[in-house]
Amino acid sequence: MKCAVDIESRDVEEMYINIDPIQAGGRLTADAMKAAISFADGYSVCDNCRSPFRLDYIKKPPIAQFHADLAAWLNMDAVRVVPGARRGFQAVASTYVEKGDPVIVTALAHYTEFMAVEEAGGIPLEIQKDVKNHITPDAAAEKIEAVIREFSKTPPLLFIDHVDYQFGNVHDVAGIIKVAHQYDIPVLVNGAYTVGIMPVDGKTLGADFVVGSGHKSMAAPAPSGVLATTNEHAERVFRTTQAKGDVTGRTFGIKEVEMMGCTLMGVTVVGMMASFPHVRERVKHWDTEVAHSQAVTDALLSIEGTKVLSDYPRQHTLTRIDTRESFDKVAEQHKKRGFFLSSDLKKRGVTGVIAGSTKVWKFNTYGLTEKQIRHVGESFVGIARENGLNIV
Amino acid sequence: MSKRAVDAVFQALFLLSDVRFLLRETAPGHDLDEGQKERAATTLEKVKRQVAILEEELVR
Repeated sequence: MKCAVDIESRDVEEMYINIDPIQAGGRLTADAMKAAISFADGYSVCDNCRSPFRLDYIKKPPIAQFHADLAAWLNMDAVRVVPGARRGFQAVASTYVEKGDPVIVTALAHYTEFMAVEEAGGIPLEIQKDVKNHITPDAAAEKIEAVIREFSKTPPLLFIDHVDYQFGNVHDVAGIIKVAHQYDIPVLVNGAYTVGIMPVDGKTLGADFVVGSGHKSMAAPAPSGVLATTNEHAERVFRTTQAKGDVTGRTFGIKEVEMMGCTLMGVTVVGMMASFPHVRERVKHWDTEVAHSQAVTDALLSIEGTKVLSDYPRQHTLTRIDTRESFDKVAEQHKKRGFFLSSDLKKRGVTGVIAGSTKVWKFNTYGLTEKQIRHVGESFVGIARENGLNIV
Repeated sequence: MSKRAVDAVFQALFLLSDVRFLLRETAPGHDLDEGQKERAATTLEKVKRQVAILEEELVR
């Protein structure tokens, strides 16, 4: 079925259980779908934009209140919605990083952190991960010392992923922030895999900035996200424009430079808002989500030769699995080669594993029902059995 | 201007979004339990009422 000329309707979420590693937390709530229907037009939230003309001041729909609620929920002082977490990284890097500055990221950092640093003219330098694929406070201290020695200046910013995208491991963010603050380095916490799916308290972590992704973890349309900060940093990162037209003499009021004026002006912001009550509630059930993740991981581990590369027991719903000694052995002989796994999964109503992957791959169980979790686990085991693998 | 028709369109679309969500919750088999069947029946009944309003307002 087509939804428009040459555009097939997307029915992946209706037809299958989707365990795609990046899509799980961004699936819309029913309320977000309704809000999207209602506010699909371009500048739809601007009907009642009154002076001062800025998105976060709009009272109808209650965008101003949403900003206040978001800040309180993250236990931070000020927030802005942004077009994706990456735009939050960009705003902060652009504010704090000067050309040639060393900026600390990690060996597990998302590529967009590198790009934000690069765009600002900085030099990204990685904290090494340990053998367990963790970024530790000790490693952070070691890197900071090394960077200060090499550059004879203190890095203006440190990025740390609360949960990394490669392993879905939870890192000691509070410990790393404590270390960074001993050197007066502000810290940006990348909460793309935490804000909206598990409890995040910015002040308890000690974060200077918390960035979240609407479309990755807040059940919101893309591109959407949140940049939260403290009073100490808000004035700087959310500074207003001082530009003035030399011919016209025009000035631009309270528009914020890093936000390029207004950010999410339609379906993205109302989608985030409509999902927010559900998001606020769902983070309280994180333990259940982790238990679901554990159940599917255990089902996979029951297939002889399979290993989990993420922390075990699981502490997150995103998991990296190694099936080189199980499904990949089947792929060597199978007429569909590595495509047999995604193909067989699809026949069983499960999608989201990259087609052709039978070596090292990731899945995410976030948001599935108990019944769906059982179905996913049984599907993996069933496919293994059908292909002659031992179940232990 | 038919505010009633406009409201009925939105209401029907919102109700159908609930049905869509139910399809997601029950994928891939869409094997609804008793509670879900009841929810579906109630929602679809409400959709029919909205469609009837639209017929009244726009067609008859």
